[in-house]
Amino acid sequence: MSANRWLATGNFFTSYREEQRIFFTSLDRLCFCLLLLAVFIWPQFITPSNKIMLVIDNILIAIVAVYGLNLVTGFAGLISIGHAAFMGVGAYTLASFATVLGDSHVLLTHAWPLMIVLSGIMGAVFGAFVGLPALRLKHLYLAIATLSFQMIFEWVINFFVFFNQGQMISVGRVFWLTGKIGRKDHYFFWYYVILVIVVILGFAVRNLLRTKYGRCLIAVRDNDRAADAMGMHPGLTKVFAFALAGFFAGVAGALHCYLFRGAGFESFTLHHSITYLAMAIVGGLGTLPGCLFGPAAIYTLELQVEHLSEWTGTFMPDSMNLATALRPLAFGLTIVLFLMFEPRGIANWWRICRSYFKLWPFRY
Amino acid sequence: MVVFALVFLGLSNAPLSSAETYNLGLSLAITGPTSDAGNPYSKGVEDYMKFVNETKVLGDAKINCPIKDDQYQTANTKRNFEEFLDNEIVLFLSYATGANQALAKDYTEEEIPVIPASFDKSLISEGTGSKFIFLSIPSYSHQFVGLGEYVAKHHKGGGTPKVALFVHPSAFGRAPVKDFESAVAAGLKLEVVEVVEHGKDLDNSALLQRLQNKGVQYVISQTVQSPVATLIKDAHRLGVTAKSFGESGKLTFLGAHYTGGADLIALAGQAAEGFYWTTGYRLTSDEGPWVKWQLDFAKKYGRDEKTANSHNYANGIMAAQVAVEAIRRVKESGKEVSRDSLVAVLNNMNGDKAFETLTTVGPVSYSETDRMGVDFLQLYVVKEGVFKSVDEPFQPEFLK
Repeated sequence: MSANRWLATGNFFTSYREEQRIFFTSLDRLCFCLLLLAVFIWPQFITPSNKIMLVIDNILIAIVAVYGLNLVTGFAGLISIGHAAFMGVGAYTLASFATVLGDSHVLLTHAWPLMIVLSGIMGAVFGAFVGLPALRLKHLYLAIATLSFQMIFEWVINFFVFFNQGQMISVGRVFWLTGKIGRKDHYFFWYYVILVIVVILGFAVRNLLRTKYGRCLIAVRDNDRAADAMGMHPGLTKVFAFALAGFFAGVAGALHCYLFRGAGFESFTLHHSITYLAMAIVGGLGTLPGCLFGPAAIYTLELQVEHLSEWTGTFMPDSMNLATALRPLAFGLTIVLFLMFEPRGIANWWRICRSYFKLWPFRY
Repeated sequence: MVVFALVFLGLSNAPLSSAETYNLGLSLAITGPTSDAGNPYSKGVEDYMKFVNETKVLGDAKINCPIKDDQYQTANTKRNFEEFLDNEIVLFLSYATGANQALAKDYTEEEIPVIPASFDKSLISEGTGSKFIFLSIPSYSHQFVGLGEYVAKHHKGGGTPKVALFVHPSAFGRAPVKDFESAVAAGLKLEVVEVVEHGKDLDNSALLQRLQNKGVQYVISQTVQSPVATLIKDAHRLGVTAKSFGESGKLTFLGAHYTGGADLIALAGQAAEGFYWTTGYRLTSDEGPWVKWQLDFAKKYGRDEKTANSHNYANGIMAAQVAVEAIRRVKESGKEVSRDSLVAVLNNMNGDKAFETLTTVGPVSYSETDRMGVDFLQLYVVKEGVFKSVDEPFQPEFLK
């Protein structure tokens, strides 16, 4: 490592320990701390509307979900097309409590941090179970197994009376130290809760990748036979990856349930699973910053396409129904373009940008 | 941060409000599932609001009613609703059953009057709904039971008529089944042989065969047009469609509001002949003063023939009419137009204060205990390629 950690123009490691640092330079750490400070304090200075807060909260929840998807697909190399169903497991864990105990039971309204963790654990259990075929299956065959789980989940929720046949199961308003969180503070409160979870889980993922378990994921992705030969258990590693992904998804599902004040079937469909996969791809598979960029990019794209659809609808003839076509077209085109021209996702742009400023004002 | 900034930019196109402008908002499926109904509905609302502003129905005051597409997604409806609240709307025009169920608690907390396009009874029921939701016409349950009563009254031949219920696999489809079964338990002389939750089947031959084997004579539908069109086309192809109501050994098809209309005829063609349908709206294919009014109105705003003749266009006009009438009455009373005053006026819209509209088969009346606008239903049947009314408007007896 460079002697001066502030002015380092490259990463020159002299020990394995240095290579495992979370922040390679002090400037990285400072920038991160400033960014963290900014995202925590900006709502105190700017008063955004509830709609904007809802959009941002949604992006943050998607970040939590994509952390998990990136672990299983990006780092462990296992395609999962059932991620929304794992989120649904988390959301319906809360909904089940609401059905049995009542939507304003103290467990749901006061012990909500515990319930979020419990939802994550349920997601992990289901994740591990769905991951069992990974002991025998690979590639597309495994993807189909995850797709099956998505289908089974949708069927169960849509037809079981216990789950209100997919209709909304309400969850009551939560309490904090200041009392009940009302409508006025709802989105701000959950912004901070989700933000804290995003930061904690982000560090968890970063640290996981510094451990032997995290390195196992990457080793199995790169060559599972070589990993096996080196003493790792590829099958268990894959199940572990699915369990982790399920945990993250379960937490995201619980947050979604609290944010929307209930669980409904239509938030956890195959379409959503594909969307999360798109977020991971666009953000950058196998990268931690990609988990942040992907959801923000896809949500922003959706909003802009929505505005474009509305605008085109004002002068295009009805028969063309361009507005209906525009959204899937923009969505599909974005993924295809990223796969063709930037398969490493937005995270790679971020890497290039950082490299430039690392050398700045010198060019090389 | 850049992306967050982009989000802000994208969302900062909210319209400005002024003292003499009343803000409303409509969120519905203009694209995606059920947009075939949502599209003409949105045009009905849009045109009527234009009409109100142009012809000074509210004097110098204007209505500002932005229309947002929610693609039939609850999350988007919630987002649109929050945006409208940020714009300080006094009344919300909404759409889907599921989204309204999900937002019912928000409506109650905000104490905002809501007129949905959905006619689900749960939306106005205690516990599952909100006392701030006002349905336009009789609920799906009323429509379903009403059709059942018609079958019971007009069934030819002896014995209890056997019916099958053909419903959408969702909250929207399932909602009236329980009420229908309750009506049967309470004495409605029908036998429910099977409740079919349809999928995306392209061929219903096996289903039709099974129903016939079970002695079913009537199929009552609560879904959207396309599955009904597939079903009746298959029945027509197999030659099992009744030529007259209740023809022995054949199947007579009936359906609630969203199963019928001109779109069904366009989809099913000749197979739609003899399809019985109920709704609370007047149709342009029928005869009466509303025909010219609706067609002229649509022409004035440059709508094509399909939209002009759509009952969902009338549906949108009617929802807008009720909203504007409530605002007009509040203004007339000299009170400030607010959510509270609108709710009060809507709850008093009954008796001699009921609101007459050309687009519906009866007057719109609400009270604190009755938040279903029009109390009557009209039965229609397809004859020579168009829907024609059958008998007079009616009220179901087994569901009040």
